[in-house]
Amino acid sequence: MPTSRRVTNLALLVSIGLVLSIIESTFPPLLPVPGAKLGLANIATVLALYVFGPRMAIEVTVLRSILGGLLRGSVVGLFLSFSGGIVSTLVMIALYLLLKRYLSIVGVSVAGAVTHNVVQLAAAFLLIQHAALFFYLPYLVLISVPTGLFVGFASRRVAVSLQGVSPATG
Amino acid sequence: MERTTKSVTGKIKAGDIVLVALVIAASIASMVPVSRASAGEKGSLAIIEVNGEEVRRLELGDNQGCRTLRVQGAQGASTVVVEYGTVWMAESACRDKLCVGMGRIDSTGQSIVCLPNRVVIRITGGGKPRDVDAITE
Repeated sequence: MPTSRRVTNLALLVSIGLVLSIIESTFPPLLPVPGAKLGLANIATVLALYVFGPRMAIEVTVLRSILGGLLRGSVVGLFLSFSGGIVSTLVMIALYLLLKRYLSIVGVSVAGAVTHNVVQLAAAFLLIQHAALFFYLPYLVLISVPTGLFVGFASRRVAVSLQGVSPATG
Repeated sequence: MERTTKSVTGKIKAGDIVLVALVIAASIASMVPVSRASAGEKGSLAIIEVNGEEVRRLELGDNQGCRTLRVQGAQGASTVVVEYGTVWMAESACRDKLCVGMGRIDSTGQSIVCLPNRVVIRITGGGKPRDVDAITE
């Protein structure tokens, strides 16, 4: 794919992720558990992985985390979303490459949501150093099942629609 | 790129179901041990409230001896006992005695609530609060 087209697609995915996270930030919290959120922005990463491949997924995640952190103006938030985002993307890529026969886009998305929440909590622990944080871990993992499923099904819907559209796959 | 897009249309696979089941099982199984391990630190102060208003504060030091406090609730008297850093509801005029059945509490953030008699015991103080300091997006 020519460089210009690649850059355009990357920018498109990053902006989709940013807009989704801004939309999501206007929703009321799902549950009274800090960190429990829908993770709509992960749709951009999952799409990047399945439509364009692992490299694009990493680029989208890195850019989205940095830009999102700058937009929100929170350095702590940047650290948390960057660590959670990059590790969950790496896990999704590994599962996508190694377990493609057994896992569909939906399962990969659930794994990404779980990893994101676990890593983010671990990063928060590094900052706050309070063991009571881990009290939330089982609930965060449990809530990431429905959110991961939602993101997975949404991504699959979009990815299926993108099939056969030559500019996207070009 | 044909190859990668083709895999997208795939239906739900067995691994998806196994993964989701594993995650749900692991999180539910870990709830009790995790909440036990990360329970709050020992509290230093028990606050007794009746009808939402604080009526008494009791120090929870280990060497304070055994003290008994009777408070008048909505349906009658409740007896609160403090001993060895723990506090419990020894007697209550309420009908179901759930508050008495809750046993002893000793950590910050814990509470014993008697709804019928409108008596609440909650523990504060002692180390850092259990509340989370920051919420991230």
